Amino acid sequence: MHNFPNARSVAAEHLVLEQLGKSFGAVDVIPSLSLAVRKGEMVAFLGPSGCGKTTTLRMIAGLISPTRGRITVGGRDITHLPSHERDMGLVFQSYALFPHMTVLRNVAFGLEMRNVPKPEVRARALRALEVVQLSHLADRKPRDLSGGQQQRVALARALVIEPSILLLDEPLSNLDAKLRDEMRVQIRALQQASGITAVFVTHDQVEALSMCDRIVVMKEGHIEQFGTPTEIYEHPASPFVSSFVGRTNRLRGTSDSRGVITVAGQQIRAATAEAQGPVEIMMRPHRMRLAPAATDRNVPDATPVQGQNSLRGVLERLTFIGDLVQYHIRVGDAEVMVEEATRRDQGAPCAGTPVDLTWQASDTLVFPAAAS
Amino acid sequence: MSAAAETRRRPLRAGEVAVLLLLPIALINAVGFILPVLNLARYSLNRARIGGGIEQVFTWENWTGIFRDRFYLDIVINSVGVSLGITIATLILSYPIALYLHRSHGRWRTFLTVLVISPLLTSAVVRTYGWIALLSDNGPVVGTIRSLGLPAPRLMFNINGVFIGLTEILMPYMILALLAGFGRLDPKVEEAARTLGASPTRTFWRVILPLTLPGIALGCLLCFVLAVSSFITPKLMGGGRVFLLATEIYDQAIVTLNWPLASTLSILVLVIFGAALWAYSAVLRRLD
Repeated sequence: MHNFPNARSVAAEHLVLEQLGKSFGAVDVIPSLSLAVRKGEMVAFLGPSGCGKTTTLRMIAGLISPTRGRITVGGRDITHLPSHERDMGLVFQSYALFPHMTVLRNVAFGLEMRNVPKPEVRARALRALEVVQLSHLADRKPRDLSGGQQQRVALARALVIEPSILLLDEPLSNLDAKLRDEMRVQIRALQQASGITAVFVTHDQVEALSMCDRIVVMKEGHIEQFGTPTEIYEHPASPFVSSFVGRTNRLRGTSDSRGVITVAGQQIRAATAEAQGPVEIMMRPHRMRLAPAATDRNVPDATPVQGQNSLRGVLERLTFIGDLVQYHIRVGDAEVMVEEATRRDQGAPCAGTPVDLTWQASDTLVFPAAAS
Repeated sequence: MSAAAETRRRPLRAGEVAVLLLLPIALINAVGFILPVLNLARYSLNRARIGGGIEQVFTWENWTGIFRDRFYLDIVINSVGVSLGITIATLILSYPIALYLHRSHGRWRTFLTVLVISPLLTSAVVRTYGWIALLSDNGPVVGTIRSLGLPAPRLMFNINGVFIGLTEILMPYMILALLAGFGRLDPKVEEAARTLGASPTRTFWRVILPLTLPGIALGCLLCFVLAVSSFITPKLMGGGRVFLLATEIYDQAIVTLNWPLASTLSILVLVIFGAALWAYSAVLRRLD
C-alpha cells in the first residue's frame, strides 16, 4: 500500500502537497493534506461532494490560495505563484471555452499568452485540434458545438501549452453516459501518449478506477486512502472507502479472540481478524453466492468448508438489472445483497424462501465498529 | 376560460394573440408618439411668424437655415460631441463599479445595488442643485484646489459643470445597463484564461472586455440618448452660456416662440437618435 510515497519513488515525485490546508472563515475545509504525485502518472481525487477535492485542485491551479502548507512542482515551490505563472492546464466541468472566440482561437489562446510566434501558434493549435479530431470545426464558435466536442476543445486548449500538470475538474460530468465512456478512453489515451502528469477530480468511482494510475479517496478534507485502483478496491483502508468504491454489504458482528465473528447468531471467519469486540464486516455482493438452504432443519455449521463462510437468511426480493440479478437477503436484522450474472437456465429461488449465502473467508473485510 | 364552456369557440392562433396583446401599446404609441412626431415634422416645414404664429406654407427654409447658420451647426456638433464625451466618461467611471457589483454576492450585493439605484430616487433638479453648491466658485471643490495653491478652474456655469453633473446623473443608468449585459461573463472563463497564462491585465483585454461589449454598447446607447436629450442639468449648470440642442429647442419653443425652428431641431435630435440606434445594432451584429 502506498499511503505515502516511499523512498523508491522520491526521484520521480513531481507534484507534492505538504500539509496543505484551507479554511474559509472558521470552517476548516481541508485541515492538512500531504501527498506526492509521480511524474507521468494520472491521479484521481475521488470523494463525495464537499470532501475538498475541488478545493485542493483549485489550490494546485492557483485559483485559491492555501491557508497553510506548501505546493511544489518538480521541487519548485509554487505555493504563492499566481495562477498565470504556474504552467498548468485546467479542464473545467463546464468547459469554460471563450464564447467570443472561434475554436481555433480558443486553442491558440494559451500559446499567444506565452508569446509563441504567430505561424507556430496556428500550426500547433491546428495540430492539437487534429489530436482531438476537431480540425474540421476550427472556425466555429463554441456554442455551435455539442457538449462532447466542447469538452474536446477544452482538452486541446489545456494540452496544447504542454503544461507541467494537467488538471481535470469533473470533466465528464456534463456528458451523457455513452459519450462519457468514449471520453474516458480518449482522455486516458491522450494523457498516456503525452506522458503528462495529471490530476483528475471526480465523484465517480468508475472514472477513477478505470482511468487513473492511483486514487486519492477523500472524505471531509482528509485522505482516507491513497493507492492503486486494485488496492483501493480489494484492500480498502476504511469502511468509508469500501462503501464509496464499488458496492458493498455492511454487517455488524462481534469478533472473539480466536478470530471467529458472530453475525446474527451465526459464526463466520475473516482472512485476518485483527479487531476484537464489536466489528463491522464487509463483503462485495458479486463475490458471494446464493443457494437454496441445504436443509430446513439445521443451521449451517460454523465452518462448513475450510476458508468458506456461510450465512443463512431469507430471500426478500430480487431485482433483475439485465447483466445482473440482485438478491436481497435478510440475515437477522441486516440486509445482504448478492449479485450474480444472469443465466437463461437460472432456477432462481422464490422470494420468502430460506437461502444460504457463501463466500470466501478471504473476501471478508473486518473493521472495528465505529464508536456510534 | 373553462374548456367545457368554450368548446364551440375556435381557439385563437398565436399570431392573433400577439396582435391582441400588442394592440394597446400600439394605440398609445400611435396617439402619444407617432402623431406628435408627424406634427413636428409638419411644423418644421412651416414658416414662423414674428411673435409666435405659424404660417401654413410649405417651405424648406428651416432646414436650409440650420445647415447654413454656423450657430446651429455648432450646437449640433457641440451637443453630439459633449454627449459622446459624457458617455465615455460615464462608461469609464461606471465599468469598475458594475464589474464589482456583478461579482459580489448576497446581502452585500443587494446593499450595493440599492446604493447604485438610490440617486435615481432623487430628482435630477435636486441633484443638479447639489452639484451647483459643490462646484460653484465659493464651493468646496474650487476651495480645495485653491488651498493646494493650484490655479482654480471655473467649474460652474460653463461646459465643465454640465459635463461633471451629467456624468454623475447618468452613471446609475450606465451601471444598470452594463450589469444587464454582463450575462456572458462567467467567472470560470476568466479562470480558464488565468490558468492558460494570461495575466490579470491580458485577461481583462482579451476576455472580460470582449465579453462585456454587449453591455457596453447598450449602456453607451442609453447614456448618449439621455445626454443629448437632457435639458434640466445643462440649463441650470450651464448658466445660459452652454448651448446644446435640448436647451436651444426649449429657448426656441418657449422664449422665442419659434415653433417651426424648435420642431426642426427636434426632428434633428430624432435623426441623431436613429443614427445612434443604427450604430448600436451594427456593433451588436459585429459582436455576434
